[in-house]
Amino acid sequence: MEPDVSIETSRQIRVAILPIGGPIPPSYLREYTSLIARHTRVDLASIASFYTEQQKSPFAHQPWDTGSLSFKFVLGDCSASPWEDFQPCRKVLAVLGICHLPSSSPDLDSVSDQFVSACRPYGSALATRCFAFCPSDAQLAEKKREDIVLLASADRQAMELHMLTLVQELAASLLMEFEKWVLRAESTGTILKTPLDSQSSLGSEEVIKAKKRRLGRAQKTIGDYCLLAGSPADANAHYSTAIELARLTGDVFWHAGALEGSVCALLVDRVGQQDPAMEDEVKYRYYTVIQLYRRAFLQDNAQRVSTVSFELEATLKLARYLCRREHSKEVSDLLMGAADGAKSLIDATDRLILFIEIARLFGSLGYRRKAAFFSRQVSQLYSQQENVSAAMSALQVLALTTDVYRVQSRKNKKKEQEPSTNPPQSIVSLFESHWSTIQMVVLREILMSSIRAGDPLSAWGAGARLLRSFYPLITPAGQSGLASSLSNAADRLPDGTRCADPCLPFIRLHSFPLHPSQNDMIKRNPAKKEWWTGSAPTGPFIYTPFTKSSSSTGNAAKDQIITWIVGEPVQVLVELANPCSFELVVESIYLSVHCRNFDAFPVTVTLPPNTSKTVLLSGIPTEPGPVNIPGCIVHCFGVITEHLFKEVDNLLLGAAQGLVLSDPFRTCGSGKVRNVTFPSNIAVIPSLPLLFSNLVGGAGANVLYEGEIRDITVNLTNVGTSPVEEVNVSVSGKNLDSVIRVDNEKLGTVLPLKPGGEVSFTVTLKAWQLGVADTDSDARRVSREGSSPYLVIHYAGPVGSNPEEPLPPGRRLVVPLNICVVQGLRFVQARLLSMEIPARFAQQHSSTEPGPDSVKTLVKIDPYKGSWGLRLLELELSNRTDVVFDLTVSIEADDTAYHKTRIDRDYSARVLIPLEHFKLPVLDEISSKPELNASISALINKIKVRWHSGRNSHGELIVKEAVQQALQGAVLDILLPDPLTFGFRVEKGGDPIRACEVTALEAVIRNNTKETIRLSLSVNCKDVAGENCCEGHDATVLWAGVLNNIPLEVPPLKEVVHSFSFYFLVPGDYSLQASAVIIDAIDLLRARARSTLPDEPIFCRGSPFHVQVIGTT
Amino acid sequence: MIVCVAVVGHQNNPLYLESFTGGDDALKLHHIVHCSLDVIDERVNNPKRSASTLNETFLGLLYPTENYKVYGYLTNTKVKLIMVTTDLDVKDADVRSFFRKFHAAYVDAVSNPFHVPGKKITSNSFSERVGTIVKSFGHSMSL
Repeated sequence: MEPDVSIETSRQIRVAILPIGGPIPPSYLREYTSLIARHTRVDLASIASFYTEQQKSPFAHQPWDTGSLSFKFVLGDCSASPWEDFQPCRKVLAVLGICHLPSSSPDLDSVSDQFVSACRPYGSALATRCFAFCPSDAQLAEKKREDIVLLASADRQAMELHMLTLVQELAASLLMEFEKWVLRAESTGTILKTPLDSQSSLGSEEVIKAKKRRLGRAQKTIGDYCLLAGSPADANAHYSTAIELARLTGDVFWHAGALEGSVCALLVDRVGQQDPAMEDEVKYRYYTVIQLYRRAFLQDNAQRVSTVSFELEATLKLARYLCRREHSKEVSDLLMGAADGAKSLIDATDRLILFIEIARLFGSLGYRRKAAFFSRQVSQLYSQQENVSAAMSALQVLALTTDVYRVQSRKNKKKEQEPSTNPPQSIVSLFESHWSTIQMVVLREILMSSIRAGDPLSAWGAGARLLRSFYPLITPAGQSGLASSLSNAADRLPDGTRCADPCLPFIRLHSFPLHPSQNDMIKRNPAKKEWWTGSAPTGPFIYTPFTKSSSSTGNAAKDQIITWIVGEPVQVLVELANPCSFELVVESIYLSVHCRNFDAFPVTVTLPPNTSKTVLLSGIPTEPGPVNIPGCIVHCFGVITEHLFKEVDNLLLGAAQGLVLSDPFRTCGSGKVRNVTFPSNIAVIPSLPLLFSNLVGGAGANVLYEGEIRDITVNLTNVGTSPVEEVNVSVSGKNLDSVIRVDNEKLGTVLPLKPGGEVSFTVTLKAWQLGVADTDSDARRVSREGSSPYLVIHYAGPVGSNPEEPLPPGRRLVVPLNICVVQGLRFVQARLLSMEIPARFAQQHSSTEPGPDSVKTLVKIDPYKGSWGLRLLELELSNRTDVVFDLTVSIEADDTAYHKTRIDRDYSARVLIPLEHFKLPVLDEISSKPELNASISALINKIKVRWHSGRNSHGELIVKEAVQQALQGAVLDILLPDPLTFGFRVEKGGDPIRACEVTALEAVIRNNTKETIRLSLSVNCKDVAGENCCEGHDATVLWAGVLNNIPLEVPPLKEVVHSFSFYFLVPGDYSLQASAVIIDAIDLLRARARSTLPDEPIFCRGSPFHVQVIGTT
Repeated sequence: MIVCVAVVGHQNNPLYLESFTGGDDALKLHHIVHCSLDVIDERVNNPKRSASTLNETFLGLLYPTENYKVYGYLTNTKVKLIMVTTDLDVKDADVRSFFRKFHAAYVDAVSNPFHVPGKKITSNSFSERVGTIVKSFGHSMSL
């Protein structure tokens, strides 16, 4: 059997093309043969000029205007067929030698000799030509040769023209040879033999019949030559005679041959016409042909020679003629019949050709699955031949079928999908992947034949597809076997070989962790000086409901724009799964990037059997522009492959719907179906500055006692590649009060901060007071999450020179100030104490200037008033810590250091705070509550209780609330002075007061209000027993002047002096006290005195003055 | 004798394939069923527009191969029912009635609320029922 047969085969002149003078480089061979082989059809009209009619042509009806000769060029050896006499189209009727002169011997004679010897096996050749390409100048200069045509190098068009002429000339000479042959056959007859009748010709009684047969056969053969000569009318005439004779003599085989020829003649005659009548005619005749061939089958010589191949060829010819949609059923039946006939073919090559042709015809009919089925049969036949080239052929044929069985290599798939990348395609392929039984067989066959063909890459690809797609159907032993055959294949491949088909592991995108610095990019608002405001959430919440709602609607992941920065590493989490039962070593895996602006870093992973692992893959963007990361590049089993996320997503989608075999991740125990799609639009922007913060003296939490004050140093380093030109520091978060001071003035002076530059500034912290809940909890260190404040540093790089360009974004750095507050001194209680200390009637009291030794005491005695009604605030504190605290109390604007109070651990102590100094100078109406509150808080703020502990721990006791609580109610008494201040002095100062002397004294009354006060003053004197000394029958003090009910009027804020004299009879201690009844008191005074009745007398009393009277001796 | 029956989904995905030969020819039968889809595809894509065949579900003999004959049936949801038999002369009516029963069995199987459309039919009762239908086909032939 011959490949590529059709009804028209009968008219094709077979020409063998033989390379002469050594092997020709393949590219040249291809070029030369393509030059020749394009002339399969040569019009008769075009060869007329080369044609000379020597005798009268036997082709009487040759259509010189419309007819043509048909050539079939066969490259290389074609062995002579025993059926040549039966079908002259099987004969090699011409031999063309092609010689590439540069690669052959320079001697043209030797080329000529080689050509002659090469032509020798082709006895049937009627014409020979030898074309020599690329001759040297010397060869061109030689005398023109008859036997070799030298084709000088020229451009393609010239060569084609040249070749056309040569082929036309060849055609003309062949035509003349055909004429000669036919004339000879007509005159002298010819002996025609086929393998069928080598023995039957011996039959003696059939001699006459044999003669008639011979005649008929000669007519048939002449018809064949007419057909070859392009004269269908002549051919038809001869065929008709032959058919008649063959029918008469019962020469069934030749009958069929003649009939076949007549159909060809019919088609050639009516070329281009397609009417149903002719189709029916062709069909009818060919069915007859097939029947005749079947009848020619002789059982007795079936072992040696068989006509089955002719029957099958005829079937194929008819099938090819009918091969159109409307005849699909008929063609299918014909082909299935032919396939059944394959069993009776003796020669394996015939069977191979048959299946190839059946597969081709089914393919052109659109029956892809059947074509694939027969292709597989072809590959099996190839595989039965034990040689490499057959194995390669098997491999190639199988590769054609992979498309139908949906096991094709991704390399081919890509080409196919390029014009229309529609997702349904992939879904359909998911569905069809259910033909797993067939698919696995096909892949296994590809694997076996590629091993046999010595193609390790195909073997690897097939093994990879088999393992990846069908691992659930393969036994553990089979999986390991596949793994080892993958490794074996890789051993025979050079290092770094890439394969289009991914193997294991399965890789899906797990998540996309964003580095905080990537989040903290803020679009700069060029209109504002504070460019960061309003453009991004600057609050403590990374999550804001507004951004969330906009991104959760629709394709959130797709709309999300991710910005990467040149030079800053980024990370992607992927999940790898090894669902097989062997340990998988991924030599390296890294992100696959199709653009050139990303450097990916490889990692090595080992996956134990049936496990999955999440791997962090990282890389650095190198140039601005978009980045697309479709998958990962994996180096596994010795070969580099690309694994696309999309494919696995489809697989998982199919698995979720139960359409594919198995979900590799679920079998590995990682079942959560995440639908993470890789953001399609990742933009890389030019490098920005990047600040890195470091807290000197405590990257962790600063443990502070309540109220402790501490400086911490924040170190900022620019680890980016562009300078920082703007920095702004703000404080945010909770407990903002605890940041007392941020010394960021220094920052401005160091700008721009070059890459690698460092700057540090100080932040002063003051630990806040723990709440009730915090103190109650048992933990001594209470550091609530999020209770610390943090520094927000907005910074930005240089602005581009082009104002048109958008501003490069600024960034935000959040520096948490981790403060852990522990309880220090525990406040137990506060009390307000009243003390009454009589003023000493001494000389120094008469002076308003404080004496030199009064400095060191807190209690400053008012010279007029004494310390009557002195109020003290007592704080009781306990120390439960394990350190010692030293307390100092100070009043604001008084930097005097007082005695320290030391509180040892586990002890309590009391601290006294005198409240004497807060009296306002004037008793005035405090009209509004805010004013009062301001006064109170001013009062409280003045009180500072500082503590020191150890060498460098210091702080301030937070007692404001306690003080406020303690002062509640008494605050007016503390703040407001009495309306009148009483004082006494000796008229002539200097000497001590002696007994039995007249001592002139003065009572000084000061009005502390802004109104004039009228009053009635009384002065009395008491001895140590508290008895009144001035009155009664046993008075010990004599007096002069008025002591009781002295009417006085004191102008506002002025003093009035009332003089009187005392004569002390007995030395000792006395106390003087002045008192007054205010006449016609105004409301202010009434309020101050807390009098309830409107006409109640307002009574004022000064503090007692101590008087020491010494004796005269 | 019926050697194989198959249900193929509308995306040409096999939903059910059962062979009744008991032999080791599963692959061959897979191939036969797979190849028959060519013919069905053709009939589906180029339907004959005559009124009588418009609603015809029975596709008739799809193709003869070696010793088998392959018959097809197309439901209105484009699910294909395929039957492979070794009997050389089969009455169309028998095949039609076989397919009707087979179709009914399929409809019942996919009406199961636990069946996922597009997934392979794994129901045992469906297999049993199909087995019975296949056996009864043999009987009616012999009668």
